[in-house]
Amino acid sequence: MEPIDLGESQKIQSHSSNSAPIPDPSPPRKILWVKAEALERLGGDEDLLQEVCQIFLQESPKLLQQLRQAIADADPEALMRAAHSLKGELGYLGAAEATQAARELEDMGHQKNLSRATEVFAILDREFAALCLALKESPGATS
Amino acid sequence: MNSVPAGGKSPPDTVLIAEDDPIFRRILQSWLQKWNYHVIALENGLDAWRTLEPEDGPQMAILDWTMPGMDGIEVCRRIRKQQKGPYKYVLLLTAKDSKEDVVAGLEAGADDYLTKPFDVNELHARVRAGKRILQLQGALLKAHTDLQFEAAHDHLTGLWNRGAIMDLLHRETQRGARIGVPVGVIMADLDHFKRINDSYGHPTGDAVLREVGRRLEESVRNYDYVGRYGGEEFLIILAECAPADLIVRAERIRNYISEKPVPTDSGPISVTISIGVAAQPPAGSELRKEEEELVRAADTALYSAKANGRNRVEQAPGLCPESLARAEVAPS
Repeated sequence: MEPIDLGESQKIQSHSSNSAPIPDPSPPRKILWVKAEALERLGGDEDLLQEVCQIFLQESPKLLQQLRQAIADADPEALMRAAHSLKGELGYLGAAEATQAARELEDMGHQKNLSRATEVFAILDREFAALCLALKESPGATS
Repeated sequence: MNSVPAGGKSPPDTVLIAEDDPIFRRILQSWLQKWNYHVIALENGLDAWRTLEPEDGPQMAILDWTMPGMDGIEVCRRIRKQQKGPYKYVLLLTAKDSKEDVVAGLEAGADDYLTKPFDVNELHARVRAGKRILQLQGALLKAHTDLQFEAAHDHLTGLWNRGAIMDLLHRETQRGARIGVPVGVIMADLDHFKRINDSYGHPTGDAVLREVGRRLEESVRNYDYVGRYGGEEFLIILAECAPADLIVRAERIRNYISEKPVPTDSGPISVTISIGVAAQPPAGSELRKEEEELVRAADTALYSAKANGRNRVEQAPGLCPESLARAEVAPS
């Protein structure tokens, strides 16, 4: 499904005023997740989206921790599993860049080649932190 | 609703979800409940298999492909290995959408698959398709059961039909010979049935046949068999019945039929039956007869009962000296 652009008001941005300073050269008005996309998948059920965001905030840091551990342990199997799960969740929220990073990590685990894992994990970690912040600031807000 | 119900049959429209990811588990559960399904939401494949394994377990399952312990593909394979029980519809949930993965899933026995991130309309459509298949399967099973009943039962009286009663007789005589017990056969025929049909018409004749069939069934033990052998002729198999008892039981049946008139739309009609009996003595006896011969012997005895004035019991000659003695006590 194509991300649906419903205008600036519906895009949650990483560089909101009180987010942590991120040394990132990417454009400042980047889309972290596409709410409209997630909401459409949920048949427009705002309450369910809110609930899903809460579960994500609560559960997904565990997956991120598993990823970190898998890289530290050089365990491709564990990396693949955790990255796979995270990829699914991020994909559902329409978090394109984070999803892409998770997909790359999953592939690395699959190919048992973790040489670039730390580098890609850093991207995922950064995207993830920004996404969580955005979700906390505006979980299920419509505008 | 995160636990397996404590045994027992799943209500219809139960959908089992096995998904380790809490977000997808919640989304699936939330929607399915909205669509009025009874949901069992589980976190791993092993619990899913334990819940699905019983014949009366949920008939529809949504299984995540990747799960710790046992993955969805393995659960699916196990379900398909089961030969008995009603069909189980499996929807495989996957983040894998390559052609090979889809083929692997379907080859493992999945009915359909759903690729993450799926949307709610797609989920609904696929679950509905599954429900349709299960409904069709249910209807097919019912038709099959109905046909099996019809194939073995007489349409008018609901008794075993001729083919079925002869099969049962074969089975009972084999069993009797094997375990060394006698089998009794009663051939009963309604007296002057043609007169009833001619005087009151066929609908009344049919009502009489139905009532006589009902009384015959009432007059035997629940491990005996009553069949409609032909027009107004009935064949009764009395399992483990000694020849001497056979005459007594036949007399009781004869009395039970004639005791009270049969109420019909044309008014109460008195009916009587004539009976011929034959017995297969236990194995080892020189008099052991095959079932066709047994029926012929009972039929011959029935002709004698008719010839000797009807509403009486006659037995096949020379079957058992012990029972001959009893027969002389007979007709009332």
